[in-house]
Amino acid sequence: MNSQIFHPFVLPFVLGMAFVLTYCVVGLLRVIGQLPKDDRKKFWRSLVTPKTAWANVRDLVGDCLFHVKIWKRNPVLGYMHTAIAFGWFMIIVIGHVMLFTLKPLEGIELQGVERTLPNFYYPIFFKYFAEETLIFAILMDFFLLMIISGILIAVVKKIHSKIVGVKRIMHFGFADNLIRFALWTIFPFRLIAEKTNIMAFWWLYSIDLMVFMFMLPFTRYMHIPTEALFILLRHAGLKPREPRKGYALAQIYSCPSCGLCIDACPMSVNDKNSGNTSAYFMKRLRNGDREEAQRIAETCMQCGKCVAVCPVSIESCDIKMSQREAVPYTINSDHSYLGNVEPETKGNAKVLYFAGCMTQLTPKIMRAMKQIMEAAGEKYAFLDKDGGVCCGRPMLLSGKTAEAQAMMAKNTELIKQSGAKRLVLSCPICYKVFKEEYQLEGIEILHHTQYIDELIKRGKLKVDKNDVNYVYHDPCELGRAFGVYDEPREVIENIGHLRKAKSEKELSTCCGGSLGSFILTQQERDEITTNSVNDLIFNNPDEIVTACPLCLKTFARKSPVAVKDIAEVVANQLK
Amino acid sequence: MDFGFCLSPSSHVKMDSVDLTTFNRLKETNPDINTCIACGSCTATCTAGHFTEMSFRRILLMLQRGKEDEAKKMIQHCMLCGKCTLVCPRGINIRKILLDITR
Amino acid sequence: MKENILIIGGGAAGMEAATQLHKMGLNPIIVEKSEALGGHIAQWDRLFPAFHPAKDVVEKMLDQVKGIDVRLNTEVVDIHRDNNSFHAILSNNETIDAKAVILATGFDIFKAERKQEYGYGIYNNVMTSVELEKYFRTGKDERINHPKKIGFVHCVGARDVKVCNTYCSKVCCTTALKQACEIKEVFPDAEVYTFYMDLRMFGPGYEDLYLKTQKDFDVKCVRGRVCEVSEDMDGKLVIKAEDTLFGKPLKMTLDLLVLMCSMEKNKSIDAIQQKLGVGNNSDGFMQNKDMYLGMNDTAQDGVFVAGACTAPKSLPDTIGEARSVATQVYNYLKR
Repeated sequence: MNSQIFHPFVLPFVLGMAFVLTYCVVGLLRVIGQLPKDDRKKFWRSLVTPKTAWANVRDLVGDCLFHVKIWKRNPVLGYMHTAIAFGWFMIIVIGHVMLFTLKPLEGIELQGVERTLPNFYYPIFFKYFAEETLIFAILMDFFLLMIISGILIAVVKKIHSKIVGVKRIMHFGFADNLIRFALWTIFPFRLIAEKTNIMAFWWLYSIDLMVFMFMLPFTRYMHIPTEALFILLRHAGLKPREPRKGYALAQIYSCPSCGLCIDACPMSVNDKNSGNTSAYFMKRLRNGDREEAQRIAETCMQCGKCVAVCPVSIESCDIKMSQREAVPYTINSDHSYLGNVEPETKGNAKVLYFAGCMTQLTPKIMRAMKQIMEAAGEKYAFLDKDGGVCCGRPMLLSGKTAEAQAMMAKNTELIKQSGAKRLVLSCPICYKVFKEEYQLEGIEILHHTQYIDELIKRGKLKVDKNDVNYVYHDPCELGRAFGVYDEPREVIENIGHLRKAKSEKELSTCCGGSLGSFILTQQERDEITTNSVNDLIFNNPDEIVTACPLCLKTFARKSPVAVKDIAEVVANQLK
Repeated sequence: MDFGFCLSPSSHVKMDSVDLTTFNRLKETNPDINTCIACGSCTATCTAGHFTEMSFRRILLMLQRGKEDEAKKMIQHCMLCGKCTLVCPRGINIRKILLDITR
Repeated sequence: MKENILIIGGGAAGMEAATQLHKMGLNPIIVEKSEALGGHIAQWDRLFPAFHPAKDVVEKMLDQVKGIDVRLNTEVVDIHRDNNSFHAILSNNETIDAKAVILATGFDIFKAERKQEYGYGIYNNVMTSVELEKYFRTGKDERINHPKKIGFVHCVGARDVKVCNTYCSKVCCTTALKQACEIKEVFPDAEVYTFYMDLRMFGPGYEDLYLKTQKDFDVKCVRGRVCEVSEDMDGKLVIKAEDTLFGKPLKMTLDLLVLMCSMEKNKSIDAIQQKLGVGNNSDGFMQNKDMYLGMNDTAQDGVFVAGACTAPKSLPDTIGEARSVATQVYNYLKR
């Protein structure tokens, strides 16, 4: 026990702490300042709205402290992260609790500044200055050992990641490696310092902390303070508008570069492309490497799997879209010809069917839909029997919002003219943009999976069950984007037997045909398709069923078993 | 050899003086561009081609015959729907090339 | 010497190779999985370029194999090699010991359903070239009902990376022109169009056939690939293609559409092929040693290939290869 209130070795830590706090406050002001006005308003309001406020508390505890989402993905990594982060949090908290239970401070009467000064570093170097009671000593040692056990797993992961169930890890530069080394050594140094009281180790411990804190803003560990802010902003319901400002900036710094998205990304089947995953995209943005960020943004298929597995819920797909918008292609689009497009049929249909561009190349889907609607006795009209106007999503994907608006306006006009109250779509690509961007008040928008499911449930469509084993592939823009997982599965249960894919629902793998990517070559797409097909036929189904014309065409190239659209399968089983 | 006179105008494409800068630039990022067999699938399936003169097959030729301005004008009609890329029997990433032409 | 040579496949290549080996005093044994010899060619009506009846050729070949050991309705289920001889177990539980094996397994027809946009199996009036040939042979097909407008689509399942077949199937161009003439013979009033990318008239008399198609049969060749087929209210086919020479997309109503399906590797032999240690080339066909002097040889001594199992081939090509493989086998055994 050293009855004093100050020792020079605390200085590195104090300096580091002061730096990091200043940086965080400035950063916070910067992010909030960069938010567009209405977003900022939304943000303030969300902080006091009970529902979002509760969500904030829940996620701050659940995500920042306990990392619930990592536990769900991979318990070993969950423990690793919780051990380090929660353990560290606890020794800081317990340190402060001990400070308050320590009265008076070892018989030294402190006044004024002297009374508050130790508050900054006492909890960090407690054992040097004072002695804890037994219960605290046990608690502190417990959490310190817990942290060290976490660090041991991290070391194993670094050396041989497959042991902890991770195939590909991120490759870091010098700064990230140095700060990681600092982080890993902080706690062993502290343990040795506490147990031996050798002055050198107190110095090493403090200097390590300083190194960590000075480097923090320039490395991935910035996610520690930023994630809290990101959670608040996310619950306010904001969208990233610019790739390196405001909300997006908060996300960039919240990305811990854990690399979970690398294994998840369908592109990673080719090692060359694992550098095009979201973790690297965020890193490029953080480093201000715009050209590379743009290239990755345009390579991405926008399947959203990285978002689904992200333990921090980083909306990397949205940020990539804002990056595309920031550097749009410079075609001077001229879609004035759309003005001359007139609908061929005006009528009193109740249901309007819009096949979409891709479905024009899969006549089986169109014919099946026709059979289904006729069998159900629906009054329907076909909006694009002989080709229509593109839904606008591909144009949006290229970052050209205004041009997409022109097509959307034309389709809106055509749809409203039809007088139908329901719009049925066969293409999930269309479905996404119709749901998210179109203003079609009073018109219900359905994908044909939902529509068929409803027809069967309402008894309008009678189907026979056969003995075929199906596996269902969730199209990205239907599944992950809108959570349409149950309807197609229920439909399939009605007509045959459903087998499980190796990974499905929110973890379903993109077929590789995605319109989202501009850069991927046919060969790279083929590798993705083969991998995805293997996932699907894992349980030896007789047929693959999907609900997207593009997935259908893509899979058909590489699949050893028949690939069909859900509409086609249903039409074959009509009573 | 210059005989000191010639008749003009001539409707020939002057292959000797065609500027291939854009085409060569495209070739660097899209080596597939040379594999076109001019089958016309892209044009026949084109969503915009349903209403306009849009034809990717011709755009490629225009770029190789010194008609870059005409090509760029034609691209303006494109809706980027991607059908052309889906049908191309050579697997050419047409959508990317269309976007790259104007970048 | 009266050594056994196992020939897998009893089509044109298998029969011709057997005939030659037999003449050389060897003992060829043909194992054919179907109920008759003749393979694809026995299903054909007439042959290009001169409309020669396929039956003539097939009958002559069948005549020649009389007295040769043939197992019909039989497949090789297992095979292994023991130094310089092969032991094959057949599906009838018979075992054959042979000094050499000739793979003459030929090709499969591309499944037209895989090109969904062409509507085969969806629309009634879309048929394959093989089915049309059957119609010529039998005179029966309910889809053919005095068509007024008929279209032929070239390169279905060939030169198409989207179905993973990048090769040219060699015989479809000439076959399409032959069939176009033939259908015109049956329905002289019909308008016949072929949609081609390149017309590959590579053999003797083929260009003459092309000329005849244009001059005598008035078949119209449109340079462009059909990309979409749909059906109108009256059940007629509507096709879309670009007339690339005119430079505009065209739309056309047809009563009948014939898809010129490509040749694909016959995959039913894959397991045996693997056991013999013969690989595939980049087109998915069997890999021969080299395409000039080793076209009948494989990476394995004593295992030979002949005919369309290594690439799409015309009948004359196949017969030529069958004869050359016999020489190769003979020399192999004599060494």
